[in-house]
Parts: sequence; structure tokens; C-alpha cells
Amino acid sequence: MSVVEAVSTQALAGENLTGGAYRDAMHRWLHANLPAGFRSDSAAFAPPTLQQSVAWEAAMYHAGLTGITWPQAYGGHGRSLREHLIANQEIGRLAMPESVNSIGKELAGPIILAVGTEEQKRRFLPAILEMRNIWCQGFSEPEAGSDLAGLRTRATRSGDGWRITGQKIWTSGAYRSQRCLVLARTGPLEDRHRGLAMFAVPLDAKGVRVRTIKSIDGRESFCEVFFDEVEVVQADAIGAPDEGWAAAIRVLEIERATNRMYRAWRFENELRHLISACKADPALSQMVGDRHYAVRLGEVAVEIEVLKAHVETAVEALVNGDKIGARGSLAKLYWSESHQRFAALALELLQQASLPQLAAIKVARRRFEAIYLQARAETIYAGTTEIQLGIIADRILQLSRGK
Amino acid sequence: MTMAEALQPAEFAATAARAVTACADLDVREQARHLAGDGLLGVIANEEVGGLALPLGFAVPVIAAAHAGLLGFPLLETVLAGRLLQASLTRLAGAIVSGETLATIAWQGEAAAERDGGALVLSGTVARAPCAAKVDYVVVRMDAGAAALIPTDAEGVVVEEAAGLDLTVPEHVVRLEKVEIPVGSMLPAGTWDMLSSDANVLRAAAILGSAEACLALAQEHASTRRQFGHALSYNQAIRHALARQKLGLESIRHAITRSLTGDGGPLQRDAAFLAAATYGSSISEGALQIHGGMGFTWDVPVHRHLRRIRTLQAQGDASGLISAFGRRYVSEVAPFAETGA
Repeated sequence: MSVVEAVSTQALAGENLTGGAYRDAMHRWLHANLPAGFRSDSAAFAPPTLQQSVAWEAAMYHAGLTGITWPQAYGGHGRSLREHLIANQEIGRLAMPESVNSIGKELAGPIILAVGTEEQKRRFLPAILEMRNIWCQGFSEPEAGSDLAGLRTRATRSGDGWRITGQKIWTSGAYRSQRCLVLARTGPLEDRHRGLAMFAVPLDAKGVRVRTIKSIDGRESFCEVFFDEVEVVQADAIGAPDEGWAAAIRVLEIERATNRMYRAWRFENELRHLISACKADPALSQMVGDRHYAVRLGEVAVEIEVLKAHVETAVEALVNGDKIGARGSLAKLYWSESHQRFAALALELLQQASLPQLAAIKVARRRFEAIYLQARAETIYAGTTEIQLGIIADRILQLSRGK
Repeated sequence: MTMAEALQPAEFAATAARAVTACADLDVREQARHLAGDGLLGVIANEEVGGLALPLGFAVPVIAAAHAGLLGFPLLETVLAGRLLQASLTRLAGAIVSGETLATIAWQGEAAAERDGGALVLSGTVARAPCAAKVDYVVVRMDAGAAALIPTDAEGVVVEEAAGLDLTVPEHVVRLEKVEIPVGSMLPAGTWDMLSSDANVLRAAAILGSAEACLALAQEHASTRRQFGHALSYNQAIRHALARQKLGLESIRHAITRSLTGDGGPLQRDAAFLAAATYGSSISEGALQIHGGMGFTWDVPVHRHLRRIRTLQAQGDASGLISAFGRRYVSEVAPFAETGA
């Protein structure tokens, strides 16, 4: 059965539900419609194809589970961040695949909402939510990783539009994307953060070449993207050349605190899956009852509770009109490091399973070995641990450089 | 509008900070009267006993400020005892809230009771009772999660000094040698669990106050102490260490906040305390490290906070609690079965 056939045709997006009723509706829809094969805690799990993921995410959108806070004028559901949190808690509680369009929904979309033209909002935003356009992020370059001020991809005036030349790297999912949010330099390299502009570059444009890179998890999701004198129309320039980046930074601060808001609840789903697998195994069921592993699992559980606290207090702060500022770095640093500790513990436990290996252990090993490897990237992408520590020192503690 | 709606917990922080400063040179009984005068002993006790009848969240900034200022008074225990006794021993609760009578709680161990006619006879050894040598009553844990109130001057009560890290509010061991108490001094089953759960939130608040003071001291030192021609904070190793301390501090603060929201239950309260015990220890130890040799001196107050944090960690039995936390989690999850996965 295809995803489109599996999902309910009843859309919840328009229903006027709030609070507990809203949560119940989201919960019921997800449980009724998420195919068993999409669940990585199921023996029936098979990674969804791109086509299946696109269909599933489009269905989630029509059910009211994505685009929750975006204005209705641009295809969103016009709800509050509190409801976004509720929906994400329910999403997190199920072992469902990650979005193939998180860059569109959590980076490009919010930036376009903040600095895009009315025409851009109407053209790009519904297409992101309906999964007609998948986006990737063209920020990092071979010579500009954490230090984006050093990027060299150039955008020069060409008639009424722009001509872009340069190379991007670590561009997750570029091979499957229709658009790339490209950060390019309009002035000299010495301008550092000034003179940076953003563009929504169509990846089928002449002069764009995408090459995949095999990553440590064996997947080919990472990409290099080459731009060889790519002509981009003015209508695809996002924000003014000198204000685009500054506005993007403000958006990124909020996004760092609120993106993939379901993480803590997904980690809890992972912890429950790990424990359930261990309890099905003769050797591991003894171990998780011992004090040593009870303490270590307890530590993971406490970290998940603390992560929930970071997320929920950030949501309340934003709902109450507070500026989140650099505080998103605290949450990012916390979830990325705690998830790595948890993944390492999961691996350690599962490596001690009884023989012959039970189906429960096979399912868990498949999931947690992937999580362990993927988690190694979590302290690197979206600003490395060292970058987050620097932001906290500079902007939250405002520590003196004291030369 | 009720009093709780008209007030904000943060407003109590300033009052508490002023009261702590004013208590600096007073003995324990004088401190009690002073703190009572500012309404701080009865923050969460009901109005019948002279309290303010505010939710537990209002005690959080009070306790945090008390610990940030190294208050030498068992405030956490007093605040909890006043509310604990308000229903069954109303007059005594009123005396505690007004600062006339002093009470503490023995956090470790439990006593056994035998009935002797109309009275109960208690025996056993309890410990980790802050300031027990200077108070009038001590609350002890009994079988089945009950609790009992014992006058410290009753026959058979022996209060002994105990080895302990906390110099500001020293702990004592209390030996009970056939101590006779009226049946009315026995508090019902379930009392202790509720008391422990509330105490865990307030311990987290106490650690937050101390950790906040430690980070402020470390930050100040790193900004003013110069080595190799630069302030210490010029060095990335120091900047990152302080940033990690800040992450720990905010983690404690958010965990406390969450434990007090509508969704906050015993699990969230335990998590707040466990997070505070872990991060509070590393923040205070980290602050000592950043102070270098100066941190190892008696006069720099970081070690006083470190001592208190480690004592609070033990009073809440963080080691036992983290194990129970994990076991509870494990027991709630069913073994893997495809249909229930």
C-alpha cells in the first residue's frame, strides 16, 4: 500500500481544536496513518523512498502537522508556537523518519517569511509545505565551514539579475532538492560578514552540478554543489544584499532553539525502545535491572527531562514575546552532546546481547547503530560544539577578551 | 485576585537577599525571628498558621537567594516543616512560621515505633539533620513512609555532632533511645514521600543559588585576573569552561521551572534535583579550578558553596535516587513485542 493510500483523507488542519483536543487529534492521526514500515522500532521497517517520504510529509501537512505557525496566507495553519510544541511532542513519540525537507521547513521558509518579498512568500512557502519543492542549504564551503564570513562563492550583477560562481560543500540532500538557499558574496572577501546575499537558486539551472559524498553511515546524503556562472533572476534574491544575512542570523537564532522541536520526545521514544529490546533479551534484561545500568539509564532519562525543560521554557519565552537571542546555543549544545552519550550507551548495551540474536535485538541494533553514527554529526552541524561554546561565552556571559 | 495571582515569585528573591544580608551576624534564633518578620518562613504555609499560602514555586527564589548568600539557617527545613504540620499540629506550625520555635528535618535514616499505651516509643538513629543541635524539634522518617515530630529536649534524644562538609548549616546525627511521643506527633503514611518530593525542588533551588554565586565569582575572577599579559577570560579554554558552567546553570533553572508547571510531577521534581546535583557540583568545582590557588583558600567563598552543594546532594540521596529513577523507567517499559513496539 502506498503512503498516499494509507493516510486518512480527513484533514485536521481546518478543525478549530485547542489544547488537549488538539493533542488528541494529532496523536490519533499519526497513529492511524504512520505506515508500520516507516517505524524504525518495527521489524517491518524499511527506509522510505524519496517518493514515499514526499507523500507522507505532504499528508502530514494536510493533517495540520507541519507549517503549524506559518500564516494561512502562505499555506500555513496560523497556529501558535504552543500548538507547534504539542504537535512536535506527538511526532517525537513515534519512531518516524526525519523530514527530507527540514531545510525548507525550518530554515528557508522562516528566512523567506522574515525577509522575502510578498511574491516570494506566495511562490515558495506553499510549495515547501506541500512538498512540491525540497530545499537544501548552501552555506558551508571548502574554505568556510564554521567561519562563514570567509566564504568565497561570488554573486555579481548580470543585467537585472545575478551570476553566481563558486562551490558549496556538506550540502545535505542537494541531490534530491529543487532549490538551494545559497549564501554568496557580493563584495570583496575583506568585507567578511558585510556584502553577503542570499539566493533561492533552482538546482536545475544551467551551470549547477551536484556530486554526492559518502558519509560515515554509508549513505550518500551529503553533497558538493558547484555553481559555474549560474544566472539567477532578481526575483530569486532573498532580502537586500546587505540586510539578508543579518536578518538570517536573527532567524537562525530562533531556529536553533525551536527546530526539530520533537527531539526530546524522540529521544524518549529511543530510550523506551532500547529498554524494551533489552527486556526481551535474557542477558540484557538482567543488566538493565542492575544498579550500574539503572544509574546510567537514569542519567539518560534525566538528560531527556532537562532537554524538555530547555525546549518548553524557550517556547514559553517566545510566546511571551521575549527575545531568544543566543540562548538557542544552550539547547543545541545540550541535545547534541546528551544524544551522543545516550547513543554510545545504547551501543554498549546492545553489543552484550545474548546469542542467538532475537528479532528485538536485530531491530534495535539496526536503529541504534545508525543513530550512533548519525549522532557523531550532531555536534558538528548547525554550529559545532566549539562554536556554541564561543557564542555562550561571547554573547550570553559577555566575557571580556581582556587583552 | 488572590495573593498568589498578585505576586510574582521573583519579587521574593530581592526580599530574601536583603534578609540574608541582615542575618549575617545573628544567631540561629535571632535569624528565625528576622526571617519570620519578612514573611519568609511561612511562604508556603497556610494563612491559619500565619503563612502566605503561596505555591511551592514562591519558595524557590527564597531558597535560592538564601543559599547564594550562604545563610546560616535551616530555611529549607523550616519552610517545609511549617507547612507539613499546619493541619495536624496547627499551634506548633504557627510557632515555627513566626520564628518562635525552631525545627529541622533528619533526611537520612528512619526510626522504629512501638506503641506503649497512649504513647509511642521511638528508637533508632537518623542523620543529616541540619542545625539539629540548635532547634526545638526534629522531623524523622518512620516505617511505611510516615513521619514523626520529636522534641529535641525529650528524654532519650541524643543530638551528636557529625562529620560533614557544610560549615554554614552543620548537620547532626540524632539517636533516639526509647523516646516517648504522643500519638498525635505521628504524621500519616505518605507524608515522607510528599516531603521528599517538595524538598527535591527546594534542594534544586538551593543548589541553583549556590551555583549561580560560584559562576559569578568565577566569571569575575576570570575577567580581572591577568596571566601571560591577558585576563584569564582571553583564553579559549577558560571561556569554554565558563560556557559549560552556564549551560549547567540554565539546565538547573529550566528543570526547576518545568517541575513547577502544570505537567510537573514527582518525576520532573526528581529530575530537577538530580540535574542540580550533577551540574551544581561541576559548576562549583569548576569555579574552584578557575580560581587556581586562590580557590583553595579559606577566604574565597567558592568552597563554602561547594560544601553546601555536596551536602544537599547527600541529603537528597542523589546516588540512590538516580538508580531509582532508572529502575522506575525500566519497570514502566514492556519487553519488545512487535505489536507493542
